[in-house]
Amino acid sequence: MKRNGLGFYLRIYGKILAQDLKSKMSYRADFIISTIGMIFTNISGFVSFWILFRSFPSINGWGYYEMLFLYGFSLVALTPVQCLFDNNWSLRQYVYSGDFIKYCFRPINLFFYYQSEVFDIKGLGQLAFGLGTLIYSWTKIGLGFTPLILLKMTVFLITASLVMAAMQNAAAATCFWIQNSFYILDLVTRFKDYAKYPITIFSPVFRFIFTFFLPIAFIAYYPSLVVLRPDEVPLLSWLSPLIAVVFFWLSYKLWMRGAMKYNGTGS
Amino acid sequence: MPAIIEIKDVTKEFKVLNRREGLKGSIKDLFSRDYKTVRAVDSISMSIEQGEIVGYLGPNGAGKSTTIKMMTGVLEPTEGQILVDGAAPYKNRERNAQKIGVVFGQRSQLWWALPLIESFRLLKDIYRISDEQYDGMMKLYGSLVDIEPLLHKPVRQMSLGQRTLSDILAAFLHDPKIVFLDEPTIGLDVSMKAKIRTLIHALNKEKNTTVILTTHDMGDVDALCRRIVIIDKGKMLYDNDIEHLKGFFGSYRTLKIRIDGDMKEIAESIQKELPDFSVSADDEWISVLVDEEKAKVIDVLGRLQSSCKIKDMQLEEISTEEVIKKIYEEGVS
Ligand SMILES: Nc1ncnc2c1ncn2[C@@H]1O[C@H](COP(=O)(O)OP(=O)(O)OP(=O)(O)O)[C@@H](O)[C@H]1O
Ligand SMILES: [Mg+2]
Repeated sequence: MKRNGLGFYLRIYGKILAQDLKSKMSYRADFIISTIGMIFTNISGFVSFWILFRSFPSINGWGYYEMLFLYGFSLVALTPVQCLFDNNWSLRQYVYSGDFIKYCFRPINLFFYYQSEVFDIKGLGQLAFGLGTLIYSWTKIGLGFTPLILLKMTVFLITASLVMAAMQNAAAATCFWIQNSFYILDLVTRFKDYAKYPITIFSPVFRFIFTFFLPIAFIAYYPSLVVLRPDEVPLLSWLSPLIAVVFFWLSYKLWMRGAMKYNGTGS
Repeated sequence: MPAIIEIKDVTKEFKVLNRREGLKGSIKDLFSRDYKTVRAVDSISMSIEQGEIVGYLGPNGAGKSTTIKMMTGVLEPTEGQILVDGAAPYKNRERNAQKIGVVFGQRSQLWWALPLIESFRLLKDIYRISDEQYDGMMKLYGSLVDIEPLLHKPVRQMSLGQRTLSDILAAFLHDPKIVFLDEPTIGLDVSMKAKIRTLIHALNKEKNTTVILTTHDMGDVDALCRRIVIIDKGKMLYDNDIEHLKGFFGSYRTLKIRIDGDMKEIAESIQKELPDFSVSADDEWISVLVDEEKAKVIDVLGRLQSSCKIKDMQLEEISTEEVIKKIYEEGVS
């Protein structure tokens, strides 16, 4: 049998996605309500950001627009996780109930097959919101739209997304070993909110944790330094794309290892 | 021709964590794990030829599903060897998946939100089914079941029976060499059961697909299987033709009678009266299994006639249901 290549998987994903969207659109009320919910979530997030900023016009040398840039950057970077890996949230339930077994009988990659089942369109609204914020702050800071900057942005947005996806995969995969793993996934997701802030505002202990244990500093801070502070880019920023790829790969391996040792339930 | 499935001395053990109570307990569990070993399958061997329909039977918890999960590559045997079409399933799950179809009763593998036809189209891509083969299969399905009303219905709106039927069709779609059906008729009504049996039978005939079937409904066995394999507590009890098994019970006859009133209730009182024989009832008949080495059927009938008014009667050889029940209770002697 021919090995399934990238083209094969993209095509399958496209078809599943198209079908999924079609069926979601057919439940119009559901669709509208979740869109409204998404808008409110984003607005409330933004409002709390804004309130915080009215009391501290500058945080550790980061001005309002720079912070806004970080905020937009993190929103955009989180979109792929939200859209593509949302089924991680159900993993624990599938594993616990034994229904996870239904994913194990297809002649395609298990991780892909599992994640392909859910595409969360709410993420697209977040993307629009994030892009708006990003571009607004971008022009206010006056960064310009040179090809180099756009290239840097693309590379580092992907970096950030990979880090976030990796964290979520790894956290979700813990359910193959631990029963109460929901708290882990929940915790990791809560911490990602701190990704919006420059890491320098945290105490050294948290700085260390957010760089090496829960590497949320790679979601927005280190990558955006490359664009925002081109003169003082730390080595970690340049290394972050590599780190992100390695980290994502490790999280994938962990997930697959858990899935392969999955015993199911009786009956 | 080599066997399509070859199982040799296969054992599967589960390590079950003795969980401790509360938060403190689960933290403790993380560090010191206190395991108990459950032997779900205990050195089983069998060999299955292409095209056979094998009834894989045993009481609850016997280890049937566990064996099937090993053959599908989901579980790794603790000991022993399994070859499915010449390869070890667990070693390459994806490759094995191409050759098999799997249905677990009450656990649909179809895309929940999609109409059946869209699920089929996705499966066509996933299994790389050619247009020709796909069209051929759809035509065959059309001739076997009334598929049209199902095709455009989202799976989540289907009844259990429709969903099971759809799952079976999906499992055969890529023309696999083997299809595993784990309790496919569980929870279905009589007519849906009959439909599904006819379908499985026809697909097996048409495509020469090997079918491994587990069930607690002996009607499935009567309709489909010549060969049965029985396991209990993980150990193999029997592997041969069903007729051969019935031969062990040559002196048994099933006396079936029909009486007015609540059959279940009357059956219970008859059981009390005739403690030596097993009595059961379905919608039509009360069946009494008589061992003619112990009592003549005619005497039993006489005793029954003195206590109730018999409307109708039949005499049959021992039914599959009763054979299996005796095996579960007493083993193969
Ligand atoms: N994942 C698991 N972890 C621990 N024990 C298990 C697991 N799966 C099955 N078992 C145990 O293995 C034994 C066999 O279970 P199995 O599901 O194979 O039985 P079965 O023959 O399919 O029964 P049924 O007819 O009730 O479906 C049971 O004692 C069960 O408790
Ligand atoms: Mg079972």
